[in-house]
This record gives sequence, structure tokens and C-alpha cells, in this order.
Amino acid sequence: MALMPLISNFEGDFVLQLIPVDSESTMDEVAQAAAHHSVGRRVKARPGHVIRVRRPGSNEPFPRTMRVSEAGIKPMESLECIWESRAPLAAVASPAQRAGSGEE
Amino acid sequence: MAVLNRTDWYDIARKTNWTPKYVKEDELFPPQLSGNFGIPVEQWESYDEPYKQTYPDYVKVQREKDAGAYSVKAALERSRMFENADPGWLSVMKAHYGAIARGEYAASSAEARMMRFSKAPGMRNMATFGALDEIRHTQLQLYFPHEYCSKDRQFDWAHKAYDSNEWAMIASRHFFDDIMMTRDAISVGIMLTFAFESGFTNMQFLGLAADAAEAGDFTFASLISSIQTDESRHAQIGGPALKIMIENGRKAEAQKLVDVAFWRAWRLFSVLTGPIMDYYTPLEHRKQSFKEFMHEWIVSQFERSLTDLGLDKPWYWDTFMHDLNETHHGMHLGVWYWRPTVWWNPRAGVSPEERAWLEEKYPGWNDTWGQCWDVIIDNLVEGRTELTLPETLPIVCNMCNLPVNNTPGKGWAVKDYPLEYNGRLYHFGSEPDRWCFQQDPERYAGHMTLVDRFLAGQIEPANLGGALAYMGLAPGEIGEDAHGYAWAEAYKHAALKKAG
Repeated sequence: MALMPLISNFEGDFVLQLIPVDSESTMDEVAQAAAHHSVGRRVKARPGHVIRVRRPGSNEPFPRTMRVSEAGIKPMESLECIWESRAPLAAVASPAQRAGSGEE
Repeated sequence: MAVLNRTDWYDIARKTNWTPKYVKEDELFPPQLSGNFGIPVEQWESYDEPYKQTYPDYVKVQREKDAGAYSVKAALERSRMFENADPGWLSVMKAHYGAIARGEYAASSAEARMMRFSKAPGMRNMATFGALDEIRHTQLQLYFPHEYCSKDRQFDWAHKAYDSNEWAMIASRHFFDDIMMTRDAISVGIMLTFAFESGFTNMQFLGLAADAAEAGDFTFASLISSIQTDESRHAQIGGPALKIMIENGRKAEAQKLVDVAFWRAWRLFSVLTGPIMDYYTPLEHRKQSFKEFMHEWIVSQFERSLTDLGLDKPWYWDTFMHDLNETHHGMHLGVWYWRPTVWWNPRAGVSPEERAWLEEKYPGWNDTWGQCWDVIIDNLVEGRTELTLPETLPIVCNMCNLPVNNTPGKGWAVKDYPLEYNGRLYHFGSEPDRWCFQQDPERYAGHMTLVDRFLAGQIEPANLGGALAYMGLAPGEIGEDAHGYAWAEAYKHAALKKAG
């Protein structure tokens, strides 16, 4: 486990921001850390959506439970945080998962 | 005694090149300082300056200019401008003096390099006056704000800013160090005077003079108009040098110098002048939008200058034209949101009436930038001021050292432009910023942005307090909303009315 700086590029926001995460954080935890500095500050919350994390330009977000270390993400790499409708995942996500998932 | 007309002796008197006997040409004019570009000294001697001025002429005119500016100041000292001005206007002055005054002093050194090391005698003559100009500008722009220091210590930043690690000053120093402090005489002529001064100082000084007069600040209007008359003269140093470069097969090198300096100047002015014109100047006093001013004073004039010289428009021209609609809105939002980190009090400039003006001047503003401001306004209406203040750092560009930003909301277009060089990951705010770096990576690679310094442990404690201390911002100097959020009252009333 190691503290690791990443860059959040949050959908709807205007600026890249520095976010500290742990190398063992899941993508949902990364999304939560990024949301803290954007949602409710300059980006309206979107009920019924979850925030997914992806590499810039990729159409495929990382799996929500994947850890930063597993994804091969380097310190200070920029990641896009994208709103995704919760519907397809809501049925399978447990309350515990949702609590730490960055859902708004 | 009969005196010859200036035209009868000027050409002979200013051609002061001679053939050195005791030193080699490269010792008299070291290439690193002179910038000969492989062009023989005889070619540089053909430099034909458009302004032919002698020292007695110069002194006479400058004395009159100084007398004018200082007289207006003295006459209006009891006008209570400071007490009566909109706080946003005071912020304009604070931002301007801090960003410009000491930069002018640095510019006198750059002019002095042209004065000593250029192989073109006419260029040396013009640069002599240019160096004196810049000293005059420093004196004026330190003296004028000094009277406000006892009333508001943010004005002390007119002198202090340039020595600090405040983020905007890191950006400013990085730019000016690049184009004028670390270049040879010819490159300074091209990058500082042609690419930067002939366009951008017009905008800062003429545009701001118009807004100052409208705002009733005649002292400031007279001061910066006085400075601009010098700028418009010495800004012409670069043109004849470019002509010689192009005639001698050095167009590609000249074009690159222009393209780097113009882009870098644009980025800096998008954070300095853009917010001032479109957000800080009270609505009723605005003459033109920043975009309109840019089109009139930069786009059309600069395009004409390039064409006249036989240069091309910079390769990024389409990006530049697009960004005229966007970049400064992001710079403004960033400065306002991270307001504790600047030495002035940013004016939000987003009252309902101002938003209507912004939408008119920049169609789509409400669906993009307005979306971010909607959330900020909701927080102020609901009393959640803490959510309108930052808890982390924005990523700043490794070239312009300004926050990496772009269009938010429904037109979301924020993008990182990364580059790995010698094992280090760099981030840029645009393709032209990354391109500037790639033109001469070793020149820029060692510089650390504020974020790099934070991550390297140079800022302690690693929180906002530590960052403010690192930037030299003391209590009483830290930026706050210029109107103490009074502009949000209209939205509070509307919310109450809606609630019933």
C-alpha cells in the first residue's frame, strides 16, 4: 500500500485536479476521491448515476473493483471520471459496495 | 550656430559598427548573446528601423510624457478614487501592477542585451531608448500604486509579486524568462518586441486605458496610455530583424520564434487580461468583450504584420481562434475558485445581468461555464461557502504553468496533453503548449511547476496554509471575493421568491 498522486479529469468540470489515492484503492474509491473535489462544487450530482474511471480516450472504463495497482496506473497519470447510468449495475451491487462506490 | 537637420546626419551617426583588430568578431559579438543565425555582419548593418530618433528628441518627448502622467496623478490625488471605485476595479489595478511593474524592469535588461550585443546598429539605437522606456515604466508602475499601500496591503504586491512563488508569478516569470531573459539579442527582438509587445501590450494598455477612463480612474488611464506610446515605438524593433532573417534564408527559425512567443503570450494574457475585461470591469463600463478586443487588436493586426513580412500564420491558428471563446473563462473560474492563492480579490462577475451579457457575447456560456457557476451560486445561496473553496491543487501546465482547463458542462472538452521525456511525465494544457516544449525540451525539462514542487515535498505543511506560506501570501494579502458575495444576493432573493 502506498499513497499515490493521480490526476482527475471529471466529466462536466473545467479543470484537472490532483487527487491522492492509495495504490490498493479500487476504481470506485478513486471515483469517490475525484468526486469529492468536483461534485457539489462545480458539477451537479446526477442521481441514478455512478462514476466510472477510464484512461483518456478509452471507451471502456476499468472494472469498478479493480485496484489501481492491478490496472498498471502510474503516479500522476490522468484519468477520466465519467458519469454512467446506474441501472445496469444497480441490481448486482450490494449496499456495502454502493456505500463506497462514489454513487451520487 | 546652425544645426544640421536630423535626417542629414542620422544614418552616419548611428552606423557605429567597426572592424575589430584586437578581438575576433565572435568575441565582440558572442553568438549566444548576439544571435547571428549565420548571417554576416554586413547584412545586419542593413537593418532599417522605422523609428529614427535621437537622444535629444527622446529626452524631450519622454520628459513631456512623464510630466503629463505625474501631473494627472497629482491633480487627482484628492479624487477619492480608491474609496469610490468598485472593488473589482481595484482588483484590476492590483493584478496589473503585480504582474507588470517588475516585469518591465526585467525587460530593460532584455532591451540592454539588444543594445549591446545586436550586430545591427539601428537596432542597438532603438534598444537604447527601449531600455530607458522600460526603466520609466517600472518607476511609474511602482510609484503610482505605492500611495495605496497604506490603505490596502495587496497593493504592496506591485513590488513583491515578482520575487514570490505565487503561482501566477511562476507562470509569468517562466514566460518572460523564456522570451526575453534567456535569449540572444535577435530572438529577444522577435519574441519580446514583435510577437509579444506589438500585439499583446496594445491590448493590456489600450484596452485597459479605455476601461479605466470609463470607470473614472483617469490617473490609471493616463499612466498606461503614457506607457503604451513607448511600447508602440520600441515594439517595432523586431520587424526589421525578421526581414533580415527572411531575406537570408532563416524564415523557418524566425517563424518558430514567433510561434512559440505568440502562443505563450496568449496563454498568459488569457489569465491576466481576459478576466479583467469580461468579469472584473463593472458591466456598465465595459467597452468591448475580451474576444472582440482580441479580434480587433491582435487577430487582424497580427495577421497583417505577418503577411507584410512574408511569414505564415502560426500552425495552431485554428486552435487559437477557437480558444478565444473559451480559455479565459476557465482561467477566471480557476482564479476565483482558488482565490486565496492570488494577491487581489477576484470579482465573480456572474450576477444575472452579467450572465446575460456573457451569454450574448459568448453564445452557449450558460450551458458550459454557467453550469459550474450554477453549482457555486447554489452553494452560496444555501450558505455552503466552504464548498466554494478548494481542497486540492489544480494541475498546472508544464509550459504555461497555468491550470489545465477547458470547456465544462454540456460542452465538456477538458483534456490532458501528456508527454514522457527522459522518464518524467509532463502535462500540458494544449497541443501548442506541448509543441513549444518539444521544440527545445532540454530548455524546459528541469523546471518544476507548483504541483511538482508540492509533490517533491517543497511545500510544508502539505495543505492550503503551507501553500499560501510558500507563495508568500500573508494575512491581509490573501484573495477573497471582491464583493464579499453581495452579488449572490439576487440569487438568494430569487430562491426565496420561488419558495413562496
